[in-house]
Amino acid sequence: MEISKMKIFGVPHKTVFVVDHCPYMAESSRQQVECDVLTKSRAQGVIPLAPVSKSLWTCAVECSMEYCRILYDIYPKDKVVNYIVSDSEFHILNSWRQEEQSTHELMSALAAVGPPNPREDPECCSILHGLVAAVESLCKITELQHERRTALMDTAERVANRGRIICLTNAKSDTHVRMLEDCIQETILEQNKLAAGSDRLMAIQQCELALVHIYPQGEDTLVSDRPKKEISPLLTSEVHSVRAGRHLATKLNILVQQHFDLASTTITNIPMKEEQHANTSANYDVELLHHRDAHLEFFKSGDLHMAGTSTRENGLKETVTLKWCTPRTNSIELHYCTGAYRISPTDVNSRPSSCLTNFLLNGRSVLLEQPRKSGSKVISHMLSSHGGEIFLHVLNSNRSTLEDPPSISEGCGGRVTDYRITDFGEFMRENRLTPVSESSHDPSGKLPFERAKGQLERHTRYWPMIISQTTIFNMQAVVPLANLIVKETLTEEDVLTCQKTVYNLVDMERKNDPLPISTVGSRGKGPKRDEQYRIMWNELETLVKTHAGATDRHQRVLDCIIACRSKPPEEEERKKRGRKREDREDKTEKNGSKDTDDKSWQDSERLKGVPDKEDQESEVIKDSPDSPEPLNKKPRLSTEEVQPPERAKGPVSLLSLWTNRITTANSRKHQEFLGRVSSVNNKFELYQHLKDENGMDVHENGKASR
Amino acid sequence: MPTVVLMDVSLSMTRPVSQDGIEEFQRKNLAVHGLNMLFEHMASNYRLEFTALMAFSSLWELLVPFTRDYNALQEALSNLEDYDKTCVESALNGVSNVVQQEWGSACPCQVVLVTDGSLGIGKGSLRHSLLTMKQRADDKKFPLPFPFPTKMFILCVANAEELQMTGAMDNLEELLRLSGGDGQIFSMEGLLCMQSVQAMFGKLIDRAYSPFHAVLHCGNLSSDVQVFPRPEPFVVDEEVEPMPLTVNTDLEIMGFIEIADISSPPVISRHLVLPIAVNKEVDDVGTGATDEPEEEASASQMAGKSPNFCVLLHGSLKVEGMVALVQLGPEWYGMLYSQADSKKKSNLMMSLFEPGPDPLPWLGKISHLGPISEAAENPYGEDDSKSPFPLQPQVKRSYAQNVTVWIKASGLQTDVQKILRNARKLPDKTQTFYKELNRLRKAALAFGFWELLKGVADLLERECTLLPDSAHPDAAFQLSHAAQQLKLASTGDSQYAAFDHNIVPMHTDFSS
Repeated sequence: MEISKMKIFGVPHKTVFVVDHCPYMAESSRQQVECDVLTKSRAQGVIPLAPVSKSLWTCAVECSMEYCRILYDIYPKDKVVNYIVSDSEFHILNSWRQEEQSTHELMSALAAVGPPNPREDPECCSILHGLVAAVESLCKITELQHERRTALMDTAERVANRGRIICLTNAKSDTHVRMLEDCIQETILEQNKLAAGSDRLMAIQQCELALVHIYPQGEDTLVSDRPKKEISPLLTSEVHSVRAGRHLATKLNILVQQHFDLASTTITNIPMKEEQHANTSANYDVELLHHRDAHLEFFKSGDLHMAGTSTRENGLKETVTLKWCTPRTNSIELHYCTGAYRISPTDVNSRPSSCLTNFLLNGRSVLLEQPRKSGSKVISHMLSSHGGEIFLHVLNSNRSTLEDPPSISEGCGGRVTDYRITDFGEFMRENRLTPVSESSHDPSGKLPFERAKGQLERHTRYWPMIISQTTIFNMQAVVPLANLIVKETLTEEDVLTCQKTVYNLVDMERKNDPLPISTVGSRGKGPKRDEQYRIMWNELETLVKTHAGATDRHQRVLDCIIACRSKPPEEEERKKRGRKREDREDKTEKNGSKDTDDKSWQDSERLKGVPDKEDQESEVIKDSPDSPEPLNKKPRLSTEEVQPPERAKGPVSLLSLWTNRITTANSRKHQEFLGRVSSVNNKFELYQHLKDENGMDVHENGKASR
Repeated sequence: MPTVVLMDVSLSMTRPVSQDGIEEFQRKNLAVHGLNMLFEHMASNYRLEFTALMAFSSLWELLVPFTRDYNALQEALSNLEDYDKTCVESALNGVSNVVQQEWGSACPCQVVLVTDGSLGIGKGSLRHSLLTMKQRADDKKFPLPFPFPTKMFILCVANAEELQMTGAMDNLEELLRLSGGDGQIFSMEGLLCMQSVQAMFGKLIDRAYSPFHAVLHCGNLSSDVQVFPRPEPFVVDEEVEPMPLTVNTDLEIMGFIEIADISSPPVISRHLVLPIAVNKEVDDVGTGATDEPEEEASASQMAGKSPNFCVLLHGSLKVEGMVALVQLGPEWYGMLYSQADSKKKSNLMMSLFEPGPDPLPWLGKISHLGPISEAAENPYGEDDSKSPFPLQPQVKRSYAQNVTVWIKASGLQTDVQKILRNARKLPDKTQTFYKELNRLRKAALAFGFWELLKGVADLLERECTLLPDSAHPDAAFQLSHAAQQLKLASTGDSQYAAFDHNIVPMHTDFSS
């Protein structure tokens, strides 16, 4: 697709309307409007009101407002209008400022001006006052020009100053028109000199004058039409001589299209409920204006005729017909769209137009079909509203050059099957974006999107991509801490929650709760329970360490973990421990409950470590549920028939009774296997190996025996 | 961006290359050698590119239609025959037809013209074509510029001096200019030999067919990727910023948005984002993680088995129906999403928005999108029932407000009739009556249409006289009050004709 190459600071950036407010504009256009449409039943005996007729002024004003309405609909910013009225002096009705760019603003100002006073001395009045003011106005810098000049700094001269003057007047003759042109030319030269010495003014590089001579119906024109001609390198001028009323409206509609590169599309076959007969529907057509690039594809392929172009009665304007298409599209579909252009209905308050626009404004989208003489139907466009603005989307209907790509499952990482898709989905929801008002200033001085990136950075400091790489993110118990620790700042309450999470984990460990260590790819048995907890604590510590530097409160969470967790033994201690274990395992074979044995060992090991710690930390431990309790010792005394501690509390179901029985039986069968494994490998590698082959669940739950 | 290779097979291509050595080559052999090198490069580094091969002399022929089968292209090269004279214009017409038939007129295309720089003589020669360009009838227009955006690469199996001497260079430069100016003319340096033809095609490969490698970041998660096709430099406005913008090789995700919120945005181009394996240490994922057991596996198998962020991202985007907003450069953004083709194969795709601070009006300024955690309450609602998007424009569009347009007589008549209809249902319709009355009043004042105000006042007075005996007494009061107010406004008296003033219902008390 090719983006429109309309220059940002081309002629259309600035438009000045200069409308004649001299006494002769108060003359009637002689186009009469019957506004008293009497119904037959009431007609008897009632004298209908005489038709009203608009003045030349009214015609000029309403057509210029229509021009502005279309302009503002399609270019709500970056194209600005300055409206000037001229009689014995000039009246500037608005400025280039964005907040004064609306038809409401202009109409309010026009109401204050009122119609021309027919009794004013015509000798004092002239359109020239307005034209001079228009040139002066074109030299004034717009907000966008200022913004860009400031941004470009030393290349500020790249910001050009061009503009257009649309003059609606009643000229006396061709000579009069030439006089007006000369005057504009002279004023430009004068103003450019002034601008050269000013910061707030810019010299005019190009000015287009469109002079529209308006005369009443039934009169002959005294001014002849003239196509665009160059008066000087700075000024071009064109003259349109038009009768007031309908003709003037058509002319300005054509001009707004030419001036702003617009094109027309007629939506046809719009089904619409009849007001009177609610259950029948007739098909309507609605004409829309929009940037002409929405038709780019048609122009280029020479497909215009096939697309149903029809030349309208005036012979000057063309419209492309597109057919309303059912079924409608849904909003969760992402169409390949090569352009979206704002629209404006040509006949904004006609019933078909307002039906269509209201339908779209309610959030529905409509696909549009290119009518073709034969063959398949081609959906080429879509009408859709976004926040009270309607856009004509151009959909790609050509063959894609990206077809048949290698599937993502064939590429890098494509064979991995246990991605944390759901977790990352949750991550994405937490990292959704929202508009932040420009006025809200962040103390860090960072823009909102930088803060969003910052949040992503914090949330991903430790983020394992696959399920078998993580334990803590598979544990519901860790969720409160994992959610809080990534925050930029923690409250005192957050720290408490994190600490509670840690205590809870300690409690789980004490109770010997099983951990969701992945069993993926495990042959044999997974790591032992204490090994599982070591892995879990290591991982938790890794997560929290990445945030500990953020604030003191983050650090306190880490401190809490370090203080509470079973210490990973030093290398030497490990070896010792391994030897001890071997001894113990002999006993365990008889005993049948090695886990609890280990546990108690672990506890005692930890207790040894505690006194080395600072007082504060040892306090924490005393307060924590992690402090040794007699309960821990109990299982050591347990016989075969005693259930594991985590199942010992609460009512016991038949299923769990049975499961426990099987588990106990199985665990007995496994003992020998375990011993063999540990005796084959050297002690250090025993742990590494077990870590790889996470198979603990199988063993613990007794769901399967090997 | 598909490629058409346009190979000159005119007789002049068979001219022998003077060489001191033993073997003697024709220029054609050199050209074929160069093209083979290009095709081999594409087969291994740019294999998703669709390429067509056309041969031309005074006629043209499509030897291989658009394909990714580079063997077929090389096969066709080895079977080239020799024909008569060079006629570039007809060949370009052929290119135009072939491309438009396959891809339409919007898809950008690269044309690789391989010639010896002898561009024909007399009628049909490029010189003749260029000279007569301006005197053509509409149906015989010179084919350039093509309707589709074009990159034109002209590779001459000749050196620059030779091309300057014969004037071919001027003609080729004109050709490049006519095609839109995007492209380059390559000629050979030094002797015409295998080495120099390789050097020339090497330059083309660097310029147009080197894969675009980037790193996709999402905070600390990242993946090496190839972006295909290469994102092209983009010029927003030649006058204000003539330097083309280029896509960063670090693509930074900023956050995520629902598909319904981003709502089929317009994009300037679409690209596949393919994860690639780069030889470096496998990321160490935490201490609790397990390391892959060492295996004797091929590199690609290994790559397939080690987790890749792109795959994770793609999976979640697909499941959640979301897109990731990604920053491509200063004030240039795009989106990543899962795209499924007709065969239900899906892929990670990146679309580029038009450069600028606010490419999508309904999202507002992209730099002003922040994390939801900063908002006082979740803008999506606790149950995802809401959305902060789309943003509403500050000023409503004409079709979203009740504007008054009387350009057609029917517009005016409808508005007057609306008032009369409500007038007959007073006092029930008092509110609507005054609402419509005030709307008409405002427009009439703005348009300086005081005559209408008097006319409508007369109509209301007449309605007052026509009221049936059964009418509520309030109706008559309201009608004459309204008529009087309109008349006052029609004098232009600033007290009554102020635009922002509204006629309020007369206060009456018939409730008792």
